Amino acid sequence: MSDIFSFMFYPFAAALLLTGIHTYLGIHVLRRNIIFVDLALAQISALGATVAFMLGHAPQSAGAYGYALTFTLAGAVLLTLSRGWGGRVSQETFVGVIYVVSAAAAFLLVDKAPQGAEHIKQLLVGSLLTVDSHDLVRLALLYGAVGAFHWLFRKRFLAVSFEPDAARRQGARLWLWDFLFYASFGVVVTSSVAVGGVLLVFSFLIIPAAIGALYFTRIAARLAAGWLMGTLASSLGLGASFAWDLPTGAAMVCAFGAMLLVSALVKPLITAPRSLKKTVARGFVAMGAVAVAAVLALSSLWLMIKPRADHPVLDLMEASLPAVRMAFLSRAEIELMNDASRDAEHYRQEAQKLNGMERDSRWHGAELSDYELQRLSSYTKSFQEMRNGELFVQKEMRNKARERQSWALGIPVLAVSLAVLGIVWPLRRRSP
Amino acid sequence: MLFCLLTSSLPALAAGKISVVATTPDLASLAREVGGDLIETVALTQSSNDPEAFQPRPADVIKLKSAQLVVRVGADFDLWLDRLLSQAGNANLMKGAVGYVDTSAGVALVEVSAASLGTSGHAHGAGNPHYWLDPHNAEAITGSILEGLARIDPSHGRRYESQRNAFLSSLGERLKTWEARLAPLRGVSVIAYHNAWPYFARRFRLNVVDYIEPKPGIPPSPAHLARLLGRMKDEHIRIVLKDPFESPRIPDMLASRAAGAVVVLAPTVGAVKQADDYIGLFDYNVDALAQAWAARR
Repeated sequence: MSDIFSFMFYPFAAALLLTGIHTYLGIHVLRRNIIFVDLALAQISALGATVAFMLGHAPQSAGAYGYALTFTLAGAVLLTLSRGWGGRVSQETFVGVIYVVSAAAAFLLVDKAPQGAEHIKQLLVGSLLTVDSHDLVRLALLYGAVGAFHWLFRKRFLAVSFEPDAARRQGARLWLWDFLFYASFGVVVTSSVAVGGVLLVFSFLIIPAAIGALYFTRIAARLAAGWLMGTLASSLGLGASFAWDLPTGAAMVCAFGAMLLVSALVKPLITAPRSLKKTVARGFVAMGAVAVAAVLALSSLWLMIKPRADHPVLDLMEASLPAVRMAFLSRAEIELMNDASRDAEHYRQEAQKLNGMERDSRWHGAELSDYELQRLSSYTKSFQEMRNGELFVQKEMRNKARERQSWALGIPVLAVSLAVLGIVWPLRRRSP
Repeated sequence: MLFCLLTSSLPALAAGKISVVATTPDLASLAREVGGDLIETVALTQSSNDPEAFQPRPADVIKLKSAQLVVRVGADFDLWLDRLLSQAGNANLMKGAVGYVDTSAGVALVEVSAASLGTSGHAHGAGNPHYWLDPHNAEAITGSILEGLARIDPSHGRRYESQRNAFLSSLGERLKTWEARLAPLRGVSVIAYHNAWPYFARRFRLNVVDYIEPKPGIPPSPAHLARLLGRMKDEHIRIVLKDPFESPRIPDMLASRAAGAVVVLAPTVGAVKQADDYIGLFDYNVDALAQAWAARR
């Protein structure tokens, strides 16, 4: 238990820090409509780190950080200039080009370096799990400084992001504040990508801010909602990663995505006036019924067209209710199928036993000679082949059942789901 | 550029040397031991890169066009060679032709599986491909290379054979010293980053109990890491093996929490500077392991 706690504490604290700063920056990024700017800046800074690496600076040394920072600032200058070019082409175009070119350039460079592939992978998935107390303190200080800087000059920063034209008319130096925004943003992203990886940092940046924007217009309210939902999504993602044995970064990104989906789905229910809540709820139920009926109608059609193909909906039904398949097989066929599944499991265990014997012989007891190893391998292979044979029998029985289900199950399910569609579809239209 | 590449391979032809292309630096090193100065050998993958994740480039096709012998690891390790060979269109190097050597042919592989693809029942039982990491397997590997060289250059068959025998006898001598140095580690439990060391473990009687990444390329889950750490503490596992291409972050974390040490082993010739040929590879690896074991807390 203490191991679990010690494994999850620092990653969770780091996730909270990441949520804190990125939700705020995300509100700016969404408003400026430069969604992929974090990828571009992260990639430029990675290019700088790669150049440092090629010149012999150790990763995470002062030299490496200096190069990364210099490249990031150069990227900030490029992005600042790109606002002026944005007349005919959207600014996102330049952001995309910066990202793609710096990624490709980094590839060209690391091609010659050891750990090159690892370097690129690290950039993508990060390693939130290995955050330690030093990383945490460093992140807290850095994000705190950037946050304080933005709080101090909040009026300027918000003005150039939200009302650039008004700010220009009032004589604000747009380019200076743009540059300061991109530079501070780049400094944050450089550190956070090293910790969380590009995919996760993108989620931290965009998703909580988007949920905030979905429900509120005031900045403070957006920020509060984003922080709340970001914390919730981080906890769920980390929890799921631990409980279900999943890679942490990927689990968290999916948790953030699910959070956005749910927030968008329930929005009409939450924001509707009290008097309309019932109607909206009814509309939801109708929509759900339409979706289920449509899926059932399509899969029964597919079952009639190609009974031997994959049928995920039917698989799901049979897994929870075996009778759906068994009803279409004779007693002898069911027996054959049960025998096959029993034998398949038996052969799997035998093969596993032999593999275990070989593994143990590597380090204790009598050594296996090459000849003995080859003989053992050929037995293992035979068991695996026999298992495959039994799996094939099971599949054949399934296909036999599917051919019989094709019309007998396909026509009634299609009829019922079409009837449901016919009844519910008009109801749906009456709801707002 | 094409012209430069073509001319750069000319000296080999001019000197009348047999041009050999190996997929990995290990096979190139072993081919050099058999062929001596009668052959000119290049490795397609560089030691600085992970050979399994290799991305072929145009120059590789040109190397294969002019080569007389190609030597591959096989066992699904260097599948990318198939496409390169068909692009190069060199009839002598095609599977089964005189200039084609798959060194896995004579090796007893571990972890074979009969992975039937769909209902066709087509089996390809590859097995773990890191077999060159058992020095004992050099006998079978150099045997395949010798056969290949004797096929395309029969007039020097005797010389290849005696060069191979000389190499094998000095390797045999070294193997005795290596086994003696690693004798204290017999039966010792270790954790590895990937499942790349079964042959090495089998030769030197190490017990690789688990891996940081059981599925290569998929980051480990926190639950898996907690299990690993628990095992390291309970079973007093002191050593975590990784290669120079693998990220040090997780091995370092595990080692520091379980009072263990991370040992960087070279999986291929040239992966570290000291491992400059096949014998140097084991010199380095044996040394690194023995030192880490002696210095354990």
